Amino acid sequence: MKKTIVAFLVVLMIAALAIPTFAQPIKVLFMPGVTDPFYFTMEKGIKAAAAKAGVDLTVAEYPKAWGPENQIPILQAMVAKDKYDLLLIAPTSADALKAPLKAIYDQGTEIITVDTFIGDGDYSKQSDYSFPLSYIGSDNQLGGKQMAEQLAKLVGEKGKVYCQATNPDASSVQDRVKGFTAGVSEFPNMMLVGVEWCLDVQQKAQEQTLAALQINKDIVGIFGLNVFSAQGATQAVVNAGLSGAVKMCLWDATLSNIDNLKKGNADLVLAQKPGEMGSLAIEWGVKYLKDKKNVKVPKKVIPGFEFFTRQNVNDQGMQQYIYQ
Amino acid sequence: MNGQSAAAGTAGGFLETRTGRALASNWAACFLILMFAVFSLTSGSFLSVANFQNVIHLQTLPFLLAAGETFVIITGGIDLSVGFVTGLASVCAAKSIQVLLAAGMTATQSVALSLAGVLVLSALPGLVNGLVITKFRVPPFIATMGMWGIANGLALKISNGFPMTGLPDKLPEIGNGYLVYILPGQFVSFLSKPVGFANSRIRELLRLLPYSLPFILLVLAILAFALKRTRFGRHTYAIGGNVDAAVRSGISVDRHLVGVYVLSSLLAGMGGIFNVFQTGIGNYTTFNAQYEFFAIAAVVIGGASLAGGKGRIWSSAVGVLVLAFLENGLAISGVQPFYRYIAVGVLLVVAVVIDKIFPDLR
Repeated sequence: MKKTIVAFLVVLMIAALAIPTFAQPIKVLFMPGVTDPFYFTMEKGIKAAAAKAGVDLTVAEYPKAWGPENQIPILQAMVAKDKYDLLLIAPTSADALKAPLKAIYDQGTEIITVDTFIGDGDYSKQSDYSFPLSYIGSDNQLGGKQMAEQLAKLVGEKGKVYCQATNPDASSVQDRVKGFTAGVSEFPNMMLVGVEWCLDVQQKAQEQTLAALQINKDIVGIFGLNVFSAQGATQAVVNAGLSGAVKMCLWDATLSNIDNLKKGNADLVLAQKPGEMGSLAIEWGVKYLKDKKNVKVPKKVIPGFEFFTRQNVNDQGMQQYIYQ
Repeated sequence: MNGQSAAAGTAGGFLETRTGRALASNWAACFLILMFAVFSLTSGSFLSVANFQNVIHLQTLPFLLAAGETFVIITGGIDLSVGFVTGLASVCAAKSIQVLLAAGMTATQSVALSLAGVLVLSALPGLVNGLVITKFRVPPFIATMGMWGIANGLALKISNGFPMTGLPDKLPEIGNGYLVYILPGQFVSFLSKPVGFANSRIRELLRLLPYSLPFILLVLAILAFALKRTRFGRHTYAIGGNVDAAVRSGISVDRHLVGVYVLSSLLAGMGGIFNVFQTGIGNYTTFNAQYEFFAIAAVVIGGASLAGGKGRIWSSAVGVLVLAFLENGLAISGVQPFYRYIAVGVLLVVAVVIDKIFPDLR
């Protein structure tokens, strides 16, 4: 009898220890980069995947502006309040986020960086920033290069082009500019006449693009490098009365960019897949946390791009790539 | 003799002459003319009708915000909420147009009704600011900073963080329209390009007088008149000059201050509506835009004192132009953007120092 009671108690204790592990859902924190449509779309993808996987998702406050000084305090407040099993974060600095993320990782939270990365984004080699499980985001350099190629096609591979960029301290932005610059240099009759930084302010992008059009009145093509740069640059071309004469390649498929494509104010819109980035991050993170020993998460997951043109903009299959 | 009075004393002789006083009290306008001269030399593209029109057209919103801020600063207050009230008005206008269109109204009806409603509603943040400042004696900096957050949050909530589209195409056509279109040797057309105009010749088309120019001149003229020639304006200066004296002379200071903050908010709302016409979408204000700080900077560069009692609408408009042409001229001259931020910062400090050294200049 005594043995039975002891055995029963032991089973009860094991069950008590085991219950929290199985009954409590995996806790996930999503830390966006900045208040903008791209991350809102990513949040939707994350939420849908989280609901499907049955994880407990918390979305941190959206930083009002891009930069570690805005993001780190929010992140630290969130992790001080609660403990998470998985952190999905778009680091707003490749360097400044290394130490805070390492501290969170050392507390037992797995990390996946989405859209942007720390270091050079290559977590497969041994380094002080190789601790995240994975980087899930676009190959921005490739995207920049593809935009240069598309723009070249539109302008007949000749003439002056201009790049309206945004925050110079974002890894994704740097890569797009690098890719675009390299892409343009492959066409000997094309010249990149300027890169300007609007810091996510549409009005500034508009002013900078108008100034660029004033300096080089024969600009034939413009690359608008994110939501705000693209909208401001397009607006400047409309203001200057040059819609149609200046070919516009816009990054990010917001409804406003798609609208501009339909109206003839833009010629090409690149869609990243923020929703897919979010859902893939949840899927890989959860898969790993449920079976750490056997699941090997790829260190880089690249969902790819879609290109909207005036020919396919109304296609049913393309509508899923519009950020909304 | 302290440093300030010593400096004033050194410059005193020249300042006592009529020319000296005129130059010193209009230093921003002089600086603007000097900039025109310098940038014309550094870049051949600067001095052109198209560039000037573009810059002035894009400054319509800053003109409106700076005009409202001028009234507030003359009373000795400050309004930090205007930038986000602009964004709130923009998304409210877009949202209400979307709703009214969906309800079956025509584009004209939807736009007219929505804009009237938004203009009235945009007085609300100012009313709240004014009441909080006068009834609870909350410093304007704090009260309007509270509204800064509220307006930002509401705009993001209404727009869900996305630019709001689906508005009538006619809006940006009007917002970016010109009074005169000329194709040299071919045609002169008023209010719109001639039907069938070939897009291939668009670079040759001259456009003169954006609609925004008469609009903003009219608004600024009305506000300048109100500030200089009406009882409302005189009371504004009186409160900023000496609030106790204003109370003793029978001015209803609290009611007047509420009116000033409502006016500032209304102008910010008007800016939001203009933004919808200019861009064809509803835009929430992004944090980095810092419209309120540039409006305050323009007012200070225009000669207003943050201590109150000083300021003029046209001078603030000159302040807006100084900031705009400084940025534009440096950009066209090929100066790196980061140096341009430094230039704007230095100019602002110079403006405040001038106000401190020569406090009597108006």
